Amino acid sequence: MTMIIQCLKKINKLIFLILIPSLVQANSDLKPLLEVLKENETISSEQFEKIVDAVDNNDKNNLGIPAQINTKKNDEKELLIKIDNGLKISTYDGSANFSVGGRMMIDTAYYSDDKQPIGDGTEFRRARIEFNGKMYEVWSYQLDVEFGGGSADAKEVFLSYDGFTNKRIKIGQNKAPFSLEELTSSKHTTFMENALPNVFAIGRRVGILYESYQENWTFAAGFFGESFDNDVSKEGDESWGLSGRTTFTPVSEDTKVLHFGASLNYFDQEDNSEVRFRSRPESHVTDTRYLDTGKIKDVEKQYSYGLEFAAVLGPFSFQTEYINTHLERKIGGADDLDFFGYYMYGSWFITGESRAYKSKSGKFDRVKPLNEFGAIELALRYSMVDLTNGSVTGGETDQYTFGLNWYIKPNIKIMGNYVRVDNDINADEDGGVIGDDDPNIWQMRFQLDF
Amino acid sequence: MYLFRNYLLVFNILIFFQVSIFANNRDSILVIGKVSNNPQKHYSYLKPMLNYAVSHMKDLGIKKGKVLMARDNNQMIQYLQEGKIDWITESIFSALIYQQTTNAELLVRKWKKHSPNYYTIFISKKGNDINQLTDLKGRKIVLEDPGSSTAFYVPLMEMINAGLTLEFLHSVEKKPSGNNVGYIFANSEINIATWVFKGLVDAGAYNNEDWKKVDHTPVVFRKKLNIFHKSDTLPRSIEVVRNDLPDPIKKRLKSILLNIENDPSARNVLFAYQKTKKFDEINEDINNELNRARIVLNKVHENLNSL
Repeated sequence: MTMIIQCLKKINKLIFLILIPSLVQANSDLKPLLEVLKENETISSEQFEKIVDAVDNNDKNNLGIPAQINTKKNDEKELLIKIDNGLKISTYDGSANFSVGGRMMIDTAYYSDDKQPIGDGTEFRRARIEFNGKMYEVWSYQLDVEFGGGSADAKEVFLSYDGFTNKRIKIGQNKAPFSLEELTSSKHTTFMENALPNVFAIGRRVGILYESYQENWTFAAGFFGESFDNDVSKEGDESWGLSGRTTFTPVSEDTKVLHFGASLNYFDQEDNSEVRFRSRPESHVTDTRYLDTGKIKDVEKQYSYGLEFAAVLGPFSFQTEYINTHLERKIGGADDLDFFGYYMYGSWFITGESRAYKSKSGKFDRVKPLNEFGAIELALRYSMVDLTNGSVTGGETDQYTFGLNWYIKPNIKIMGNYVRVDNDINADEDGGVIGDDDPNIWQMRFQLDF
Repeated sequence: MYLFRNYLLVFNILIFFQVSIFANNRDSILVIGKVSNNPQKHYSYLKPMLNYAVSHMKDLGIKKGKVLMARDNNQMIQYLQEGKIDWITESIFSALIYQQTTNAELLVRKWKKHSPNYYTIFISKKGNDINQLTDLKGRKIVLEDPGSSTAFYVPLMEMINAGLTLEFLHSVEKKPSGNNVGYIFANSEINIATWVFKGLVDAGAYNNEDWKKVDHTPVVFRKKLNIFHKSDTLPRSIEVVRNDLPDPIKKRLKSILLNIENDPSARNVLFAYQKTKKFDEINEDINNELNRARIVLNKVHENLNSL
């Protein structure tokens, strides 16, 4: 009989110990029961104390207070892993992190032809995978690879030293500091394509870049060669240059921004004395480039400057830029040349959001919808560029773009653009198409980044 | 045997030096930290200030700075107890908890985001007949999380002082019993405003800066919301040091922080350090605010434990 009782006690104890966690979760008022179990020796005094502690701490949890139990899990190198915008892993001492992201932009365009047919169609405008991270506290890196054109193409590829306060030095390929619209990420632009004056942007080059910022200004300057994918089979010295940009933001609040900026660029063409400016009509599905200077020979030096202004007031914003480029030809050669372009646009978030501005880099950033159904933005842009000067007849174009953007989520966006093109007679793709062709363009983009 | 003794002696000397070197290493490193769910971001806030302080402590043997962030207050307390962290920048109630649990010292007040102090506001949707705290009887209020100063401790204290009985709700669908006020956590400021705006709860509480910030309270929400109660002000943020940090380092750190606003070369450092304007001594006024906060902290814990 005693044996049976002992056996039952053991079974009882086993069942109870198995059930403790769920009992603790289910009901914190267990102390009287625990007292009885301790008295009849179903549980030991030590077990009693442990369970009471667990119950007490669970009581605190029921009040929403975190239990004050000192866990021994305090590894300083413990990792924080987040999956919100891409995958982000970082150590708690902030000395190292790594993230993987990417962007996909799928475009479709319909061209309402005027004088000659332009092929409607679709394309992967961008399909990019992006890796970046930090090591040894002060060394950062970024590697972006673009697959959108059907082959792998390196975009941002640099390492950076971040050991100074509010400044850093980057070595590798990245965008030369020139033009607000060019420097704003393609993920965050208001229109599907940059405005026409972007034809003068320096783009990505291999070099060394210094960036710094203060409370209301930024400064960046760099020394650059050519881009990563320049023609390596070409003999002769690469062109090289200097580029710099400064911005001043007297007002930079969540819904109010006042931005002024200026950029300068100098390029010595060295043995690469040919320069060519050409541009699509703010639509990338077509390969027709109405504006085309052809190869301008005997260029010795290239000087560009740009002026920027932008303002945000609640849901309204305005942005404009002017860019001028001067080509200095070799002595005894043809005349020097000057080209210019500008754009201006306004946008209105009818759902109340504001364009987000990043004061540390002097450019625009991600818009976060305030409503469940997302944010709706209307925008109107006028842009022009004149590539005709002296003996070069690259053409002149005026374009009007109406944009409708639906920011479904901070990382998912649908864009619609209607573009009215007004080409002059010289806008003939350097003789490749008929000039004075004025098509209308209807295009859409489905965009996701992570 | 003689040879063995010699080896032993050499071994002991080596061990001694190794231990000394190791100990000196920790003593020559100043460690700053805060509770963080985004170490990558907060590292860039803390590192410039840390470098600045270290550069002014060379004569005290401080050669290096290190950032160490904790995932919550419990881990931070453990770091303080183990001497792994020297200097913490935190909001007032976290600072008081560190003081109560580890005897940490409150060093100076920080003008975080240019503000010396802030306060809690209670919000509700316009037209739902909530005009004072007692109107919350039998209703639900949303707070941020149990570590928040202005979106947990202060609102709870204000409600307790108004004679209300509190009840923690595990989910937003649950209702409080009788005339109790049910409280629930939203874990972010934007969720507080959104839940109130959408009518998931009857009221919410956070600080006056959250009300102004569109990321936390979008303009379209603000137009439909109403502030029905405000608390007294509290110090915006406090710099804390561990109890057993050597006195010369404590004193130097205090002096560095109090004088940093007069150093033009430190403007970048202050800007990076959560847009801090300056630091000031914990004077009588701040002490009064701290004492009020201590009462809040103890009373809130007392009430919660007695429920």
